[in-house]
Amino acid sequence: MRTLAIAQDEILRLLSTRRGLFSLLGFALIWAGVLSYGILPAAAFFMGANESGLSEILLPRLGLTAWQQWPAPELAVYWVVSLYLLPFMALLTSADQTASDRSRGTLRFLVLRCARLEIFLGRFLGQCVIMALLILVTLGTVLMVIAGNSGDSMAASLARAPMIIINLILLVLPYIALMAWVSVMARSARQATLYAMVIWLSVSLLISYLQARFGPLALLDWILPGSQVGQLLRLSDWQTLDYALIPILHTLVLLLIGGTLMWRRDL
Amino acid sequence: MSELLIECQGLGKRYGSTAALDGVSLTLSAGEPIALVGPNGAGKTTLISLICGFIGKSRGRIQVLGETPGSSALSGQLAALPQDALLDPRLSVGRQLHFLARLQGMSIKAARTDVQRVLETVDLLDSINSRPADLSHGMRKRIAIAQALLGTPRLVLLDEPTAGIDPPNAKMIRDLIRQQSGNTTFIVSSHNLDELERLCSTVVYLEKGRLVSVGSVVDDAAQSFITLRLADVPESEFLEAAAALPEIQQLSRSAQGDYLVQTQDDMNASLALMQLLNDRQWRYRLMSRGKSLEERLYGNS
Repeated sequence: MRTLAIAQDEILRLLSTRRGLFSLLGFALIWAGVLSYGILPAAAFFMGANESGLSEILLPRLGLTAWQQWPAPELAVYWVVSLYLLPFMALLTSADQTASDRSRGTLRFLVLRCARLEIFLGRFLGQCVIMALLILVTLGTVLMVIAGNSGDSMAASLARAPMIIINLILLVLPYIALMAWVSVMARSARQATLYAMVIWLSVSLLISYLQARFGPLALLDWILPGSQVGQLLRLSDWQTLDYALIPILHTLVLLLIGGTLMWRRDL
Repeated sequence: MSELLIECQGLGKRYGSTAALDGVSLTLSAGEPIALVGPNGAGKTTLISLICGFIGKSRGRIQVLGETPGSSALSGQLAALPQDALLDPRLSVGRQLHFLARLQGMSIKAARTDVQRVLETVDLLDSINSRPADLSHGMRKRIAIAQALLGTPRLVLLDEPTAGIDPPNAKMIRDLIRQQSGNTTFIVSSHNLDELERLCSTVVYLEKGRLVSVGSVVDDAAQSFITLRLADVPESEFLEAAAALPEIQQLSRSAQGDYLVQTQDDMNASLALMQLLNDRQWRYRLMSRGKSLEERLYGNS
């Protein structure tokens, strides 16, 4: 119950602080740019390329083998852009889950009233809800564009929406969990982001070393969060959930590490 | 028998090779405020942090109100003013206190009422909509004390509650502790021994991470002493005159400037001293039985 209260507070904190509102404004501006100068022109280009037969050659090279199966090109481009952009958004928005509260001592007021794990999971849950809301908003803007451009494909696009939402939420979960972990070790959002980069690069280097030393190992390809993105690009419908277990496992492992650290660390 | 608040057995906390707390065994029961004293680095804040569950022990055993520190069962039962801890400077005081009250299990309405009550108690109801960043240091400290008074905690730990606070606000905090001491036991850590002497009945003395003593603020063994503070009386004349009194065994002057009078019969010695002061028209500012807490703890150092 207290976990939910902390999650709710995390969302309200975003809306009631200047920093939170600036983050939302920044996100809105970035998204407006992505939509105006990325998704819309790209969708128009691929539509043209499709008519000229160019898409048959170009798109598979970009990994978009399921291009034909999308009801609207805007949705297909949104899918690709989101698969690459949202993880970065998740890393940036969820960097300060507990870090500055720890350095300020605010976390001590909370620890007197609830378990450390409740705080850790509550903040994680709050960030998940924030990202889910951002996904809904961005998808909403794309659906509005589709409605304006080609009303015929709207029904089919709406039918794909739940699949897209679930996949994108699953995609960002391990990134938020990673930031939950590093936030426990850091004293500021900036430091947390730095730690995340160090961990990411270290694991990448380790994987490269192991693959060079022992040859290609299938398991190593799935270790880093987002490793399912390449597969998701080739799929377009509910079969994308065939890879749902990967981000869920990533999230559980990262939460286990972060939760253990939160449990043991001095405040 | 009083409720058992804290029970430690061989409690220790190390930071690398440094022992911040070293084998402290201690039992404290509910009642009058308890003073936690000791020089810098004695382990006071470490002990408070261990009791609150902010840090983990390196060895030993500790139980707070029958629970392990950090247990959810202590929510609303144990409260604290941690040293240097601040509320989020960006969010309003009322909103943050309301959230903390809700975490303690209060309903929305009860939380709202209680936030008003604790802010009234620290005389900061006007600041309910202010952000901590807009308040003075003293006001922020009082807000932090207010959060410790939410609900009806059985044990409240205050780490340096009056440090950096101006005298009127320090007095307000002392009055507040006195008023709230009915159902709540306070453990107060401070370097202001005069303050603790007036507030507390039990004193826990730590030094270099070790427990040196636990006892009453009023020490029977120190009752053969009288502490006397005079106003503008020539020292040599007073020492000469007082030394001639048969009721007085020995007379010395403390580092704080008070006279420490040793006697076998403190009542008769007090009367004799009063008579002497009256005869010579010397004015006194304070006369108390026993040694001051400061003299007892640091008198020989």
